Amino acid sequence: MNPGIYATIAQWIPPHSRVLDLGTGDGAFLEQLIRERQVTGEGVEKDAALVTRCMERGLVVHQGDIADGLDQHADGAFDFVLLLGTFQELVQPAEILHEAFRVGRQVILSYTNFGHYHVRLQVLFQGRTPVTPSLPTPWYRTRNLHFLSVADFACFCREAGIRETRRAFFSARREIRWLPNLRAETAVCLLDGTAPPRTELP
Amino acid sequence: MADHQAIIQGDLQDQAVAGHQSALGQTQTRVATLPGFVTESGFKFETIEVSYQTLGKLSPARDNAILVCHGLSGTAHVAGLDPTGRPGWWDYHVGPGKAIDTDKFFVIGTNTLGGCNGTTGPLSLNPQTGRPYGPGFPRITVRDMVMAQARLVDHLGLDTLLAVIGASMGGMQALTWAVHFPERVRVCVPIATCTAHNAMQIAFNEIGRCAIVTDPDWNGGEYTETRFPAHGLAVARMVGHVTYLSELAMARKFGRRRQADAADARQFSVESYLHHQGSSFVKRFDPNSYLCLTRAIDEFDLFAAAAPEAVLSRVRARFLVISFSSDWLYPPGQSRELVRLLKRAGIAASYINLDTEYGHDSFLIENPPFAEVLRHFLNGDHPRIHPHHHGEPL
Repeated sequence: MNPGIYATIAQWIPPHSRVLDLGTGDGAFLEQLIRERQVTGEGVEKDAALVTRCMERGLVVHQGDIADGLDQHADGAFDFVLLLGTFQELVQPAEILHEAFRVGRQVILSYTNFGHYHVRLQVLFQGRTPVTPSLPTPWYRTRNLHFLSVADFACFCREAGIRETRRAFFSARREIRWLPNLRAETAVCLLDGTAPPRTELP
Repeated sequence: MADHQAIIQGDLQDQAVAGHQSALGQTQTRVATLPGFVTESGFKFETIEVSYQTLGKLSPARDNAILVCHGLSGTAHVAGLDPTGRPGWWDYHVGPGKAIDTDKFFVIGTNTLGGCNGTTGPLSLNPQTGRPYGPGFPRITVRDMVMAQARLVDHLGLDTLLAVIGASMGGMQALTWAVHFPERVRVCVPIATCTAHNAMQIAFNEIGRCAIVTDPDWNGGEYTETRFPAHGLAVARMVGHVTYLSELAMARKFGRRRQADAADARQFSVESYLHHQGSSFVKRFDPNSYLCLTRAIDEFDLFAAAAPEAVLSRVRARFLVISFSSDWLYPPGQSRELVRLLKRAGIAASYINLDTEYGHDSFLIENPPFAEVLRHFLNGDHPRIHPHHHGEPL
């Protein structure tokens, strides 16, 4: 992934914030945030081997499946909840987003843009489920359950009453500022749930 | 497979593993005589004896001490070999370069109050009568056990412990340490434990107690060496032992195999194994002590006196909570509930549920994923909880 994504996210998080990183992996990014932004942070990770790696870094980490909810955390326990790279893999993304807004004031989320022109061209000319640099796995092995575009996500937020207060778009090499739905491979957004989200997300 | 080997090999507490070597060599167990101890119930001991051993070196800053709390039937002998060559109950995980590294940490093992392996318990002589307390030993609580441990820690000249680590009953003690001595515990590691027994856990203990007190030789707890409720104690251990294993571990270890060398050729291996467990336990445990300790852990309720948020509000320690997916005696749900309460109280708590197959005994046997977690947590944590790094939890 474009390292600029992490730099952008780090800038969105003010120093000394309280951060919950969902799907924290080996904890490398969370550790970076703690070191560079002096945040108080903890992670949730499903894979025991990765949880052990987080412990090696001295991180607070909880082994669990975010699909089971975040009941271990009190309402409003965090300033930011991070949901990076896994959004399109979640069975019930809307429910998890709702839960993220319960425990955090703001959510930073990233997803792979299915509206990218590579994808469009492959569907149009080959009539096949696309395999692109940002969607490298064939349909029978991909962990992606949902295929959404920048336009889809904007629509989803409108209907759910969530505000996208900041957005950034990336290709493998650079930040994309113009025609993101066509040219971006990855989208990152800062979501504000200060206005209470609807109890029933779409 | 190595995994299956570990199941077959079992733990060091109940099985003498042939040819077991310990890098620590022979280790010594000592007894501290401590004056004046009053139990929660108000019983006054003029003195108590506490059996303990220490491994590794105390740092000049006295900030590397780890107290290890044993389960129901453990002893102060944590690691190394005793004079008879028997390994300590946690020798797999405590020693030079091991998960709890005695090259880095000063490890304290101690036998619990109410036990029967060197610390004051029902077998100790009552100075009033000159005979063992036996059934007259006062009812004690997990808090009493911890108070006795704290007296030992005082005796060793230590203000704070880097960590209190315990599994099962030892986990209850670790939790109690964090609650009652918030200033003295930097890290708390409760393993395969709970904040209060559920009905099933009490039920299994009651079956054990029933087996003991209905033994014809029980005699109200006033038994002698010649008329000893060995049968009842053995049955109690047989039931207990089954609850420490898992279906899969038992299937792997015994299946439907028969015990070839048994007098009755039809005897299943698992039967023979349980009989062996029962009879070997009788040689090392006291029935009154079994009743005393199982009562104490059944009565244990971390939140009996006040709501969880109030009880946990004083806690300063960071936590690592570990459960095992195959542990049906202390199921992972109990650990998750503990973690939930800790986190909601604002305590820095890490949690891992290890997918190991050996049931409750997963912490006692050779178990590399468990050892890795413990090692990484203690090593990762160590620099960050040093006093001059104290402050905001990470």
